[in-house]
Amino acid sequence: MTASMGALSLFRRTFGVMKENGPAHILSIGTIAISFFLFAAFLLLPLNLTSLLEAWEKKVQIILYLKDGVEEQRILHLTGELQKEEGIREVRYISQRTAKESFERDLAGYGGVLKGVKEEIFPASLEIQMDERFRTPERIRALAARLRAIQEAEEVQYGGVWLERFSLFLYTLRWGVWILGGVLVAIIVSVTANTVRLTLYNKKSEIEILKLVGATDAFVKLPFYLEGGVQGLLGAGGSILLLLALFHFFSLKVAPYVSLYFGELRLSFLPPAMIAWILGIGVASGLLGGLLSLRKAAGI
Amino acid sequence: MSGDRGSPDGGGHKDGYMIQFFKVYKTYPGNIKALANVSFKIEKGEFVFVTGPSGAGKTTLLKLIIRMERPDQGEILVNKRNLSRIKHSQIPLLRREVGFVFQDFKLLNNKTVYDNIALVLRALGYNKREIPKRARQVLKVVGLDERVLRQPPLKLSGGEQQRVAIARALANTPSIILADEPTGNLDPDLTVEILDLLEKVNNLGTTVVVATHNTGLVAQYRKRTIPLYRGEMAA
Repeated sequence: MTASMGALSLFRRTFGVMKENGPAHILSIGTIAISFFLFAAFLLLPLNLTSLLEAWEKKVQIILYLKDGVEEQRILHLTGELQKEEGIREVRYISQRTAKESFERDLAGYGGVLKGVKEEIFPASLEIQMDERFRTPERIRALAARLRAIQEAEEVQYGGVWLERFSLFLYTLRWGVWILGGVLVAIIVSVTANTVRLTLYNKKSEIEILKLVGATDAFVKLPFYLEGGVQGLLGAGGSILLLLALFHFFSLKVAPYVSLYFGELRLSFLPPAMIAWILGIGVASGLLGGLLSLRKAAGI
Repeated sequence: MSGDRGSPDGGGHKDGYMIQFFKVYKTYPGNIKALANVSFKIEKGEFVFVTGPSGAGKTTLLKLIIRMERPDQGEILVNKRNLSRIKHSQIPLLRREVGFVFQDFKLLNNKTVYDNIALVLRALGYNKREIPKRARQVLKVVGLDERVLRQPPLKLSGGEQQRVAIARALANTPSIILADEPTGNLDPDLTVEILDLLEKVNNLGTTVVVATHNTGLVAQYRKRTIPLYRGEMAA
């Protein structure tokens, strides 16, 4: 009972202190919220881009263009051989005629643009679909290399090059997020420390009196530590709410248009554990800011 | 009339002394001598003036009593506590036994009189129900009407502000009241009022130490004095 009353009184004093120095705190919480918003947004980006990458990886296929004049029987044999390869789910033969017909279908709106074009200029090919677990950039690259070694192969194409680049981009982004996170935490600590220092300056007389009348160190200092923690928590919480609002806006208004070009987008928000981490980092950096400012304030 | 001199162990009044200084020295950075070889004893319930011109070391002496400063040399005993040996965590306990009154009142002008007194009581662990009761009690002791409780200090006269400061100092029923030039900002009539009030507090059993440069005032009250001059006890 006494402990809970003590905690309640401590929170009251902390919010009292913050209220008295309201504008500075609003500014500080706003700055922390913006910093955390950037951090959280950069966490959200690779999270959703990873799912996009996975969706694209599902669609990825390898096309093996055949040299001219490969006999039908050899093609059938080759198809059969490839079907037996580990990781290959389906091999579909596209003859020169089928390739031309497919092109004509795709370009139907452009009138007779393919009129007079002979089917010989369209290379026959084998479209190779892979098993789900083999759709990683490394395995696709390895298979493509093996296919290039086939004597009848003219060229092997797959979306893997840009997928690899995209994957590398994601990897870089993930590391970038943590570097950015480190920088932002430093900013948050500094912002909180300065605001707490400002409060300390404003409360100098009160602190002096409290110390003179025999208030304990904990009684004098705790509200300032807590002030930093509360600032960090409110800033981090504010950033999550802001990001959530923008996420919903993007999901409802923008995502449908993006899906038209990049396929179905299944967007997901930050998982609860990650949100808890962000709030925790907010509180920890705020407390650290409070601690640093109290250390710098001589005599307190 | 100057203070007794002796050693930490000596004297038949050992239990009757509230404050004892034994050959205390204090020098500030820049080799500024504040106190040198200061020894005296103040009995429980005594009213003592510490006198001397500006720079004599009066404020330093008061600061040493509440461990705001540490002596370079010598021993200080306050209510049987040896200040050289107390831990940092025990300083608040020492200060709870001492009420401090300043020349410039040091009241928080952005708070009401009640909040000024309640702040101290809250810090010292008084509960919510006790605080208003105690605030009214101490206000009564210093002769102020309850109506001032809701007013900010700046709405009060200088004398009333100093009374509020004394009320705040008395809030925790201290054994000692230290007053540093408590009438320095007041006119002669108010000066007498405040000194009378401190005398009243003393009559209730509290040891009172008043630092002042006002020799006229000292003469008027006929109390024991500890005269200081350039940090040393004047003969």
